[in-house]
Amino acid sequence: MNKSMLKRLRFFSAATLLVMLVLTARLAWLQIYRYDYYFSRAETNRIRALPVTAPRGIIYDRHGEVLAGNRAGFTVSLLDLPKRDRPEVARFLATLLETDEDWIHERIAERRFSTFAPIRLKNDVSPEVVARVREQQLELPGVIIETQPVRYYPGGSLAAHLLGYVGEIGPGELQRATEQGAAYRAGDNIGKFGLESAWESKLRGRDGTLLVETNRFGQRVSVLDQENPLPGHNLQLTLEARLQRAAEQALAGVIAAAREAGNEQAGRGAIVALDPRSGEILALVSYPAFDPNSISLDFPALRDDRDQPLVNKAILGTYPIGSTMKMVGAVAGLEEGVLDERTRIVCSGPKIFFRGENPRGCFRGAAHGPLNVVRALAKSCNIFFFELSLRLGIDTMERYAHDFGFGRLTGLQDITGEADGVFDSREQRRSRGTRWHPGDVLSVAVGQANTRVTPLQLANYAALLANGGIHYRPRLVRAVTNHQGEEVYRSEPEILRSLEYSEETWHIVRQGMESVTAPGGTAATLFRLPVRIAGKTGTAQVGGRDTNLSPHTLFVGYAPAEAPEIAFAVIVEHGESGALTTLPLVEALVGEYFREAGE
Amino acid sequence: MFDHRLWRNLDFPLLLLTCALVIVGLVVISSATLVNISGDQFFYARRQAVWIVFGFSALLLIASIDYTQIHRLAPYLYVLNLLLLLAVLFFGREAWGAQRWLDLKIFNFQPAEFAKIILIVTLANLLAAREGNFDAFFSSIPSLAHVLLPTVLILLQPDLDTSLVLLVTAFGMLFMAGVKSRHMHVYLLLSVIGSVLFYFFGLRDYQRLRLTVFLSPEKYPLGPGYQLNQSLIAVGSGGFSGKGLFDGTQSQLAFLPAQHTDFIFSVLAEETGFIGAVTLLLLFSLLIFRILRIAAVARDSFGTLVCVGVAGMFTFQLLVNIGMAIGVMPVAGLTLPFVSYGGSSLLTNLLAVGLVLNIGMRRHKLMF
Repeated sequence: MNKSMLKRLRFFSAATLLVMLVLTARLAWLQIYRYDYYFSRAETNRIRALPVTAPRGIIYDRHGEVLAGNRAGFTVSLLDLPKRDRPEVARFLATLLETDEDWIHERIAERRFSTFAPIRLKNDVSPEVVARVREQQLELPGVIIETQPVRYYPGGSLAAHLLGYVGEIGPGELQRATEQGAAYRAGDNIGKFGLESAWESKLRGRDGTLLVETNRFGQRVSVLDQENPLPGHNLQLTLEARLQRAAEQALAGVIAAAREAGNEQAGRGAIVALDPRSGEILALVSYPAFDPNSISLDFPALRDDRDQPLVNKAILGTYPIGSTMKMVGAVAGLEEGVLDERTRIVCSGPKIFFRGENPRGCFRGAAHGPLNVVRALAKSCNIFFFELSLRLGIDTMERYAHDFGFGRLTGLQDITGEADGVFDSREQRRSRGTRWHPGDVLSVAVGQANTRVTPLQLANYAALLANGGIHYRPRLVRAVTNHQGEEVYRSEPEILRSLEYSEETWHIVRQGMESVTAPGGTAATLFRLPVRIAGKTGTAQVGGRDTNLSPHTLFVGYAPAEAPEIAFAVIVEHGESGALTTLPLVEALVGEYFREAGE
Repeated sequence: MFDHRLWRNLDFPLLLLTCALVIVGLVVISSATLVNISGDQFFYARRQAVWIVFGFSALLLIASIDYTQIHRLAPYLYVLNLLLLLAVLFFGREAWGAQRWLDLKIFNFQPAEFAKIILIVTLANLLAAREGNFDAFFSSIPSLAHVLLPTVLILLQPDLDTSLVLLVTAFGMLFMAGVKSRHMHVYLLLSVIGSVLFYFFGLRDYQRLRLTVFLSPEKYPLGPGYQLNQSLIAVGSGGFSGKGLFDGTQSQLAFLPAQHTDFIFSVLAEETGFIGAVTLLLLFSLLIFRILRIAAVARDSFGTLVCVGVAGMFTFQLLVNIGMAIGVMPVAGLTLPFVSYGGSSLLTNLLAVGLVLNIGMRRHKLMF
């Protein structure tokens, strides 16, 4: 190392030393000379950033009726609570909020290391509680009242399964949300079910902050700055609230009447109605329901209820398809050329199809005589469809059932949890390890085998029959708008697939469905309605021959028969008699749909 | 290449000082992040501990390779450096309005941090080769170009603070290499003019305010002055002996933003007081003097220049970071070496120490 370099190195050391001295001098100034000033600033430094919860987006029906909104609620929260005051304050709050002291201490302890935001003790307290806290404010350091929007469902249990509900975010959900980069805090609400859950990210909005100066009692002295919350996006649904309400009331009425008449098994049911021209869901009912306004209180009872009110049976309940299966056979027969409109099969009462089997026949052992496919549908003749199924074979039947969407999802994405059901077939039996018997094809043909379908699948099936085989994705959300009313998303009809059957086939099968509701058909009572309905009744045996369970009653159909606007499926579990259950429901549903407003 | 005689020459005080600073950092990070959004009180401390283990392994590795090997690699390193910085501009992950990170799946990597140490090595290589040939004014132009290229790439991210570290470090190295002082004065003047022009024409109003708010923080209790005021209150209220570890009211109530990274010093000063803060400065002084001592005994100018570069980098970052926390420097986004939370920065600093240790170990030409 040469001399000049060494000199420069010395200069370097001197510069470093100078930097250190300057910093030390400044530290001494701040920490020693000005200590008193800064100490008192720190003591009175009670600027707190309070989160302001964003109001959740509002959910409207297709005509703007509010299905889920917000109202103001008061929350009792804890800001920093001095240690020495803790036992006393906890005792007071425990009595006031009707909880126990340990729980409050736990809340304080568990939040010690997670966030510095206020600890929310109880949401939506009564005005009396608010008044008591305000009166005693001086004895309650650190206790504050926050106003927070509370989710409110004006219709009570109206469309509960579809709207869902909100609840306090759980530890697991919080962790997942944090990992995904969403800003949630313990104590925040989150959608737990239905649309509230599936559309959480849109509905939620962004919380704001209020920078406030508080005194040592935690009372707000002044607001220093604020960042307003951004309200969540609003959802406009495809649902007709009017239709939904009528359907729910009719279903509840029918079930109540059935129980009154001594049918103790009745108690559950579902209705799905959609627009066959677009896949828009107009009504979606699952009975019994719950009230999302009081879900947190009712939850234990609802969970243990035998009739499972918390399950959305319209998309998740799987039922034997019953005679509503028969259109699949009819379409298959016509398309495969094994029959045409004029082909007659003679029904002469119950008969034995396979050796060793019991005789099989029609409802109440009827003998319908010779009938073509239209009349076979009108009468729901089993013998006709037994014979037809033998001509078609199970594999062909399966292909058509699959075409109509059985055993596969309808594609509903606006709420989660759709079940795909089962179509009983050779393949199905193989995967379950049970044997396929030649006679099983007969059971499949009239919907009495192990086939299980959801009400949504049935409604979609009705829509396919109504619109000539176009499978639209079922949709619940029509549009999303921001809080300023600007549209940020609009859903369009989405064709998932189209069935390429001949016009002739559709025409004949529709004729059959129309004759069901005509004089002489199994649903002739519907003939008196001003609107022509096409449809098919179903009565599905449940639990085998030996049990004394009443059969489920079903109806799938669409209206008006000549230019369908609504396609639907109705099911009453253990409804026993279609005339007393599903037919009045169809009447109420279609009647309400075509009722002129104001009538 | 691995010789036990070499390890006898290892500068243990420097290694110990480094360890001490890293441990201080880990403790203060634990305190600063007890309250955090993840709900796990040691979330950050645990991550930092992993980086410490990783960083010291890298330090030992770099110390064991003869630095003449690294010397020889300098041109390739320079190209690699530019490629990494370009990669950030094109594929980088954006956060806080700047694009600084490369997402390496297991961790995010900040090439600008590594650019500092790579530039020290490549510039030392260039200057050592031209040693004694700095009489003509234009003789230092290539070195300037050498520095400006990566600096501009970092400035584009945009990361003004790190590009300044690069410039200041390079300036120190040019001076050390023997560039004539009147040439240095010209550069200095040009930088001042450039800075002034940049201040008035290259910055937006809020950026200008951010640079000058430290002169009168009381005027802006919220907004631009909020961080600084809270930091001053934290430091000042720490007093002579501090409020005790984990007991700082400012820190534990999370008044300070970025308190585990840029404002880590405020937490330390609040909780350990003047004593703790000055002890930290003392540790840093000793560390830097140890590095300068090795600079003085290095066997070649390349070694000397690398040591000076490392010392300059540490000193400047420390001045800016601590200066910001106590209101003598503008608020900038620079980490406090070894102490702040952050993997890339810790790894860079430990690599730099490893390099210096390497130069110290091989100060004598070994006779075989």
